[in-house]
Amino acid sequence: MVLNVPYTYRSLKGVREAAEICLKCGVCCAVPEYGCPAQYGPQFNPKHTYVYDCLGAEKPASNHSIWQCVSCHKCEEMCPYEVSPIHFIEAMKQQALEAGEAPESITGEIVQVVNTGYAFPVTANTERLRGELGLEAVQPTEDLKKIAEATGLQRRLRK
Amino acid sequence: MRYSFFRGCFIPIRFPHVEKVATMVLPELGVHLQPVEGFTCCPEPIGVTVNHPLTGLAVSARNLALAEEQGHDIITLCNGCTYTLKQANEALKADPELRDEVNAILAETGHRFKGAVEVHHFAQVLTDTVGLNRVEAAVEKPLTGLKVASHTGCHILSPPDIMGFDDPQVPVKLDAMMKTLGATPLEYTHRTQCCGWTLSNYGDRNAAARLLSDKLTAMHAAGADSVNVICPQCLAQLDTGQMLAARSLKLDFRLPALFYLQYLALAMGYSLEEAGCDKHRVRDPGFEEKLRRILA
Repeated sequence: MVLNVPYTYRSLKGVREAAEICLKCGVCCAVPEYGCPAQYGPQFNPKHTYVYDCLGAEKPASNHSIWQCVSCHKCEEMCPYEVSPIHFIEAMKQQALEAGEAPESITGEIVQVVNTGYAFPVTANTERLRGELGLEAVQPTEDLKKIAEATGLQRRLRK
Repeated sequence: MRYSFFRGCFIPIRFPHVEKVATMVLPELGVHLQPVEGFTCCPEPIGVTVNHPLTGLAVSARNLALAEEQGHDIITLCNGCTYTLKQANEALKADPELRDEVNAILAETGHRFKGAVEVHHFAQVLTDTVGLNRVEAAVEKPLTGLKVASHTGCHILSPPDIMGFDDPQVPVKLDAMMKTLGATPLEYTHRTQCCGWTLSNYGDRNAAARLLSDKLTAMHAAGADSVNVICPQCLAQLDTGQMLAARSLKLDFRLPALFYLQYLALAMGYSLEEAGCDKHRVRDPGFEEKLRRILA
């Protein structure tokens, strides 16, 4: 093990330090058959990989590329130096949300989950399909609003 | 075996036929699905938990607490739900301080996380608890001659020490599960590449279409009749996503994607309609004819 930076839900300590170890070797994005899915994205080229675009940005939390990360862990599996770019990118996403810079695709889904309990809207089509199959209707819940109030997320979203 | 049935949100809202098939076939294998009132979104990891971990953890903790109140482990039908709930369960069990913090947040909901249940994907239950021998014994119509490219998906594989399902770089379990049904599993080059659903929805739609096109072309080149998945987002991408990518990238073939439980239902003697094969966007008369011949 070259580097061991523990990462937990509570602490982002070490995430930036780990990113500084990145040697730009490009292994995480080298193979379309296996590596980082975002290598299919527009910013990618073999000399400046998707992951390095995220790690090397001047203001990484404001770099729109971070939102292409799908948290698939491929970079973590492949990185020979155990940099775990996923943890860095996820940390930047948290900072971006905190700074009000998360895109609408993210904040819209968060609002949807908090307000209804589900990440996807229940449509008339949903109810028709469920009815045809003899399945009971999907029920909304209020509990997640209480949770989001207590964690400060609601306050952040209202800003 | 009785489990708290965690349907998630994508399946009950977008693919209710998969929920229906699960309730038809799993009890026949001794896997009893206990409905739980009040389960919500796991929550969806890339939209919620990654960006606001404390809220994500608390929502997961509430779901886990509901299962604890029932006294049964959780069974899921989705890689994403499994990924979210397993990681939250492990994090909360390992860190008493974090558990107290999250339980304080849950106080107003009247629930409390104790750490008393485990989380299992249905594929884990079939391979590790039910056992493929028992699955094989339930097969009445072996899918002999059906060539299937399996796609395991990312979030049930990694991080492997928590997910504990299969080797992230060389996954083999889905092939074994298809073989159990009598089908012929196929090797293909982009086996462990992501389906692109998340990239399509939060990142870049065109990039996801190019990725999907490479993956489908590899499956087609290997001679696949159809695709096998165990995650609703993967199903959406390989079905609806394929329909959209086929238009923009002019794919000259159609590769129907089915959820593993649909193949299982067919092998157990249910009809194509009962298995919900008519509910998908990408349909191929040649494939359906071949299936009917095999099942005849």
